[in-house]
Amino acid sequence: MASLRKGWDIQTRVIGALMLRELTTRFGRENIGFLWIMVEPLLFAVLVGLLWRAAKGPVEYGVDIIAFVVSGYIPLVFFRSTISRAVNSFTANGSLMYHRQIKILDLILVRFMIEMIGHMMAYLFIALALGAFGLFPMPYDVGFMMLGWLYYSLFTLAIALVVAPLSEMSEVLEKIIPVTNYMMVPFSGAFYLVGSLYTEAADVVLYFPPVHGMEMMRYGVFGPSIDPQYDFVYPLTIILPFMALGLVLCRVVRRRLVVE
Amino acid sequence: MIACQDLHKSYRTGHGRRDVLKGINLTINKGERVALLGRNGAGKSTLIKQIGGVEMPDSGRIMRHMTNSWPIGFNGGFQGSLTGFDNARFIARIYGRSYADMREFVEEFTELGGVLKMPVKTYSSGMRARLAFALSLAIEFDCYLIDEVILVGDQNFQRKCHHELFEKRADRAMVIASHDMYTISDICNRAVVLENGIATGYDDVTAAIERYNSL
Repeated sequence: MASLRKGWDIQTRVIGALMLRELTTRFGRENIGFLWIMVEPLLFAVLVGLLWRAAKGPVEYGVDIIAFVVSGYIPLVFFRSTISRAVNSFTANGSLMYHRQIKILDLILVRFMIEMIGHMMAYLFIALALGAFGLFPMPYDVGFMMLGWLYYSLFTLAIALVVAPLSEMSEVLEKIIPVTNYMMVPFSGAFYLVGSLYTEAADVVLYFPPVHGMEMMRYGVFGPSIDPQYDFVYPLTIILPFMALGLVLCRVVRRRLVVE
Repeated sequence: MIACQDLHKSYRTGHGRRDVLKGINLTINKGERVALLGRNGAGKSTLIKQIGGVEMPDSGRIMRHMTNSWPIGFNGGFQGSLTGFDNARFIARIYGRSYADMREFVEEFTELGGVLKMPVKTYSSGMRARLAFALSLAIEFDCYLIDEVILVGDQNFQRKCHHELFEKRADRAMVIASHDMYTISDICNRAVVLENGIATGYDDVTAAIERYNSL
């Protein structure tokens, strides 16, 4: 029990130190510093939102179109940037393996957590800003929104855990990942409501766990009028095996990792 | 005590694999200063990386019953884009030491002054070596793993290193890879010659140096 406690202390210390290190190397200490992490998702969401507003008018699926796009796009950008940062994260951080208390999982976990916190901050910021102009509703159920984020994040972590070691094992995979990342767009649930799709299409997209997370999030924000479609158990039957696979792959890669 | 049992390590090359370590047995006891001798490419750095846990051996076991430093060398263990101080802060955090003490020691030991506020990638190799020694001495280990950087830098720094490592920390174990036979015979009390992936231990350092010279 005592050694478990000690191990926990070391791991939290290491993760904290790694997060601060990652933030300083990526964003520096000048001007707004680590708040830069919000800028990219904010710009993405706002610009795409305005594009939809111009193309389709003010309302989509009975809710404000900008709010709808933002609520789908920020989680999608979160998924995409987490996966692209997971690629080659071991080689890029090889020098950290000089310190034995730093585990290879810490590297993935830290990058994932930074992306998650940054994008959640962006989401909150944009919701408050739009809400001030009456363009974003008061959330119908904050708990459901958080639960949706949790499912979406768990899926993202599971994929990152698999992608990071695979990108080290094969160069072909490393090159293919950005493309598959893009192919994820229709299967992330970002740009539609499952309830508005043809039954056949809805059946297909519900095979993808992030769609469930997205529907929960939107239910939490917009309420029952959007007719949310989700399941609590099914996403986990995909996410958990992927996580287990990722852990095994990480172990294999650690054994072969060549550090300069 | 740190004991290596039948360590094997190979690396992938363009075609097939290259066996670097082919069954290394080595025990480092408390307070021993072990020289690691061998020609370039004999596997000295590879062995030190396995002992330090930087890389994992293909097979074999390493038992660690004392704390060991990371391999101290010209690179590794640093983040080049961070400043000397930031690196010190990071090391202090992950090893659970107070940054104030760390900072004071690093400033005093390295004598690098304002350079510590610059990114480590701008440092000369001598400056890197100073920082590397300062960081690992500030943490305190039972066993120091030193890869090629022993007694570098100017006279003044060499004296300081000598004092901190071999006088103040005379009770610590060390594994030192070096081609500087003068230093080796002066400092070490045991030696290991690496040849064709096999380690041969010598209790008499002079005999080991003779063997090394004949390689």
